[in-house]
Amino acid sequence: MFVQIKDLTFRYKNSQKPLFENLSLSFKQGEVSVILGESGSGKSTLLRLIAGLEVPSKGSILIDQAVMNDTFRFVQPEKRGVGLVFQDYALFPHMTVEKNIKFGLTKMNRKQKQARMEELLTIVGMEDYASRYPYELSGGQQQRVALARAMAPNPSLIMFDEPFSNLDSKLQLQIRDELQEILKRTGITSIFVTHDEEDARAIGDRIILMNNGKIQDEGRPEMVLQKSKEKLSLAYV
Amino acid sequence: MYYIRKMRSQFNSWALLSVIFSILILLPALLIMVQLFAESNENWEHIKEYMLKNYIVNSVTLVSFTGLFTVLIGVSAAWLVSAYKVPMHRFFKWGLILPLAIPPYIGAYTYHGILNYTGVIQTSLRNQFGIKVDQKFFDIMNIPGAVFIFTMFLYPYVYIITKSFLENQSSSLIENARLLGKGSFMTFIQVVLPVSRAAIVGGVSLVILEVFNDYGVVKYFGIQTFSTAIFQAWFGMGDIYSAIKLAGTLMFIVVLILILEKVIRGRKQYSYSTSKVRPLQPKELKGWKKFAVLSFFLSLFALAFAIPFIQLLHWVYMTYDVILSAAFADLIWNSVFVAAVGSLLIIMVALIIANFSRLSKGWTGKFFSKITVLGYSIPGAVIAIGVLTLFLFLDQKVISLYEWLGLEPTLVLSLSISMLIFAYVVRFLAVGFNSIESGFDKVGTVFTEASRTLGMSVTKTFFKVDIKMIKGAIAGGFILVFVDILKELPLTLILQPFNFYTLATKTFQYASDERIHEASVSSMVIICISALSIFFLHRVLEKEPK
Ligand SMILES: Nc1ncnc2c1ncn2[C@@H]1O[C@H](COP(=O)(O)OP(=O)(O)OP(=O)(O)O)[C@@H](O)[C@H]1O
Ligand SMILES: [Mg+2]
Repeated sequence: MFVQIKDLTFRYKNSQKPLFENLSLSFKQGEVSVILGESGSGKSTLLRLIAGLEVPSKGSILIDQAVMNDTFRFVQPEKRGVGLVFQDYALFPHMTVEKNIKFGLTKMNRKQKQARMEELLTIVGMEDYASRYPYELSGGQQQRVALARAMAPNPSLIMFDEPFSNLDSKLQLQIRDELQEILKRTGITSIFVTHDEEDARAIGDRIILMNNGKIQDEGRPEMVLQKSKEKLSLAYV
Repeated sequence: MYYIRKMRSQFNSWALLSVIFSILILLPALLIMVQLFAESNENWEHIKEYMLKNYIVNSVTLVSFTGLFTVLIGVSAAWLVSAYKVPMHRFFKWGLILPLAIPPYIGAYTYHGILNYTGVIQTSLRNQFGIKVDQKFFDIMNIPGAVFIFTMFLYPYVYIITKSFLENQSSSLIENARLLGKGSFMTFIQVVLPVSRAAIVGGVSLVILEVFNDYGVVKYFGIQTFSTAIFQAWFGMGDIYSAIKLAGTLMFIVVLILILEKVIRGRKQYSYSTSKVRPLQPKELKGWKKFAVLSFFLSLFALAFAIPFIQLLHWVYMTYDVILSAAFADLIWNSVFVAAVGSLLIIMVALIIANFSRLSKGWTGKFFSKITVLGYSIPGAVIAIGVLTLFLFLDQKVISLYEWLGLEPTLVLSLSISMLIFAYVVRFLAVGFNSIESGFDKVGTVFTEASRTLGMSVTKTFFKVDIKMIKGAIAGGFILVFVDILKELPLTLILQPFNFYTLATKTFQYASDERIHEASVSSMVIICISALSIFFLHRVLEKEPK
């Protein structure tokens, strides 16, 4: 197992009740997992915990056999080697596309940085936009730059928080397919968060159905979605 | 267990530095509090028995009436400016803030100079019209006079906060009231006043703190208050002990007022930082109403800015050739030096604490941001006494250390420039901090988080991302602090090193020696720099696209 989450308990400071209680979950190497759930079910929070942006009150997180977080250890986000594409992209507004992508390439010299940047721009099909600023790009273009930026440092795990939410439906399909293609080609372990069943079905090797901080079901897309449909129709009857 | 986790995830040099700075900032106030409960001495018994009541009565009278009048003037000006259009509307919008550029002590001696026996009004009456007037109608060196001065030069605090609230937050309420057929006056009474209560209270509490902080006006007018008593105890009797007791009592009163402010304001914040709000559209006024509003604006602007400004200009014209000299250049250099160093330090400390406080979620962060605000609530004279106590104590330690080492004691900290600058940091940290914190609030934490998942540490992120995104807030904070230090009087008077004067203290010295014409040049420098900064902050920064 590439990512292992054990007995994780987490509560936001200003809420009474923990969002996660003794949550256990794992992700296989090279797999594309999709976390599917309604708004407020805790999908973003789970990604933040894996990335090290939130501190759990109990439990442990392991990535690639290494302990990221348990009672006595806490690996800072910058040391985890985890890429995260944020829900609203979070491209640095004061940097060009080029600078944004080179931002995470700390261990390379200038030539290597340039080469890696160009490589990624080609992958996401944005070769001509290196000198633009984020506000000069469309939503879909920003999304691709965010993807390139997250992939540039070669993370062992990449996570996407609702990457398609700001796109119109046509662009959504196109980018989804592109992304799937890129992920397959690079063989990188990835976790997707979405509330759209279609997306989940199209892109996921595995679906994790989340509701109110709890895992309701997990498994192959067809099975999970089939089951949830049956439940739904049962409820209607 | 949870705290071990929390510590592991958050302990770093930012936390350490924030703790150290906060302790340093707190120390002067803590020392005063501790000493407040120390044993009493004879002098203090005497003060308590015979004078304290007088100080309290005078201070409370000044504060209550100034509070009342600043609310009346500030709120009505804010309402009229945001709801109606009159000729020169755009000018008045920020022009009515301009009186803030004139520190009340400068306003006080200028008005005294205008009104006294040799002033422009009485001489004109005598020479042109042969009228001799009863002096008592022209004497402003009393409590009502001080209230007038404070009101004229402090009402902008109420005006600014209420205006920005009305312009940005309340449009739907007010438009609804108009649609329901309420007249302007009823809208004002029934809707505007209640909804902007929190904003008004926020503004007037700044006014009250300024009045408690004031030394220049009351000293010049000969009114006994806490500040004058603290000066009297320290400079007049060399009794630091009674000075501390007085400072402690004043601090206690200020804390009470701050609590009262929280209670009155309730849970409402006066700035909801929601992103998109529709601004209130001002209505065109016609006929006598237009005339009435216009004359209100004009007379307010004249009394609170134009008249004293023109008078000062005239005095500058009379005296500049005597005043402008190498000594004056020194004065400017001193002022700019302490203000620049102080502002730089404040911005650095504020950046460190604000960054730590926003990244550490939960109560620790809030706690630190509250500490920094403390200094601004405490009157300058009180902070000065606290800082003095701290440095005298440190000096004792240093001297005994030198003696123990068998050396001549050379390093004396008290009454050095570093002590003065340290005191400025304690007093004005809040000003820089608020500016930087609101800058951070606007950009949020998502860019920081993005940077960290891309492999940058907190510190690298700070330099590569955070600081670049709040440039405007940093510049704004620097300007605000710089001007505040430039104008500062009571704290500087107590702590300035021997033979070291700033523009503010020199102005005050000239005025106290009844050389008010000579005071005008340094006053003018202070006013022009302040006015420029107001222009910059309220016109240039406001126009910047968000
Ligand atoms: N910073 C925060 N402080 C307090 N509570 C929060 C915070 N962020 C999220 N929550 C709460 O935690 C719960 C889970 O939020 P989360 O953002 O993880 O949901 P989500 O599944 O990503 O929703 P969405 O699909 O809308 O993005 C919600 O009830 C939310 O209100
Ligand atoms: Mg989310």
